[in-house]
Amino acid sequence: MVDDDVDLVEMCRAVLEHRGHEVASAYSAAEARRALEAGLPDIVILDVMMESETAGFELAREIHRNHPNLPAIMLSGIHAATGVPYRFEPDEDWLPIATFFDKPVPPARLADEIEAILGS
Amino acid sequence: MDTLKVLVVDDEPGMRRGVARALDSYRFALPDLNGEVAFGVETAETGEEAIGMIAQAPPDILLLDHKLPEMSGLDVLEHVSSLPGAGASMLTIMITAYASLETAVSAIKRGAYDFLAKPFTPEELKSTVRKAAQSLILARQARKLAQEKRQVRFQFISVLAHELKAPLTAIEGYLHIVRDRAAGDDQATYDHMLERSLIRAEYMRKMIADLLDLTRIESGTKRRELCAVDLCETARWAIDITAVEAGKRRIRIELHAGAPVVMEADRGEMEIIFNNLVSNAVKYNRDGGRVDVTVRAEGDGAVITVADTGIGMTEEEADRLFAEFVRIRNEKTRNILGSGLGLSIVKKLALLYGGDVTVTSAPGVGSKFTVELARAPQGEPTQPQEPRLRRLEAARPDAPGGKEQ
Repeated sequence: MVDDDVDLVEMCRAVLEHRGHEVASAYSAAEARRALEAGLPDIVILDVMMESETAGFELAREIHRNHPNLPAIMLSGIHAATGVPYRFEPDEDWLPIATFFDKPVPPARLADEIEAILGS
Repeated sequence: MDTLKVLVVDDEPGMRRGVARALDSYRFALPDLNGEVAFGVETAETGEEAIGMIAQAPPDILLLDHKLPEMSGLDVLEHVSSLPGAGASMLTIMITAYASLETAVSAIKRGAYDFLAKPFTPEELKSTVRKAAQSLILARQARKLAQEKRQVRFQFISVLAHELKAPLTAIEGYLHIVRDRAAGDDQATYDHMLERSLIRAEYMRKMIADLLDLTRIESGTKRRELCAVDLCETARWAIDITAVEAGKRRIRIELHAGAPVVMEADRGEMEIIFNNLVSNAVKYNRDGGRVDVTVRAEGDGAVITVADTGIGMTEEEADRLFAEFVRIRNEKTRNILGSGLGLSIVKKLALLYGGDVTVTSAPGVGSKFTVELARAPQGEPTQPQEPRLRRLEAARPDAPGGKEQ
């Protein structure tokens, strides 16, 4: 899970661990890159606005390029924070992720989505 | 040079030519504007023709004859007054053959800015047009200023809303999990979540308190009670209230001051300065670090320094530190909460006291903040006024008391 919001990571971790998953955390895209070099998870959950406004977008493309079979779910407040007039949606070239969620996402809903993606 | 477009609507060819001749070469300087105002004149014979021209490209000033064939001047006036945004973009001067009060009043009531009674001399024409031009330019400047102010305010409110939403989102998230027992049976997990919720709520409260301080200082509505304040005593007070937090992390705070440093100031404002600097020095320190506070007199004022042995920051980070809602976000500050307003409040206060706040810092070594206070703010805080807006009111002929000023 890659997000600079300590509390969001905490609450997702608690719920996901309770549902039997293991959670490793990174609080920036840079930290996530180091963690991914050390070993691959089954799925990546990532934020967008971290050390830069678009750090998560860049990370998502990088992950897709280097590990095409590693799915990613994006959680972001970018629609509300920037008021962009269109929606970011998963897109093979531009935004290669499985799902885009607007924050806040109930951790249980996130867990459902993770299980749906990994189960399929 | 600003060239204002004047449209003259009159069925007498002599009148149209006369006005054009008088205004074409006329220029005047506006005191607030760097440069001159000139006029470009266009003419129309009838009301219908004028309305067509206005629809194509509205003039800045409309010189409108009252007595036109077919459509009257008042009908044209009524039409242009109903156009969206007409008032601020175009001013109408009614030309009337009967210098009767009734005609003038009905024209002004329908949105005319002024009137000119026939026959008039070129000087009377210039003087009336000049008054309208000044009013128009000042109104445009005032509108531009108001727009800029609205923009700044809008940005501030957007950021504020975002900053207030963040802790609420965290608190709500935790409470949902606790309510639904979504994280298993271990009570310790829930205790931790409740603890985090309380911490986020506390910082939200602090942010609101800071915001109120900032608003009071900026609006000038805060009543300032000036008295002789010993800044060493205020420093000790700030150190005392930070002692528990510092003790938990084995951070030593030392005050280096000799004799009392007394200056005329508002005690509450001095407390805000010391409290922000000392609590930051602890918050951004390393465990086992130290904080050194110095206070010394200088002239009628004082110089305060607060140095820490904390995480420090880069030059680029230090540059934007005193702006509102700026919080340095990196791996080292991830777990440190704050309102993002404290230092911008310190800066505003330092400026009010004729001084400033500066910082020197090195990443991993520490930061040193220096606050210089020259003297107590002069006079009672007053509401910032818009001199141009007031002058505009005075320039309008229908403004109450406008003519006397």
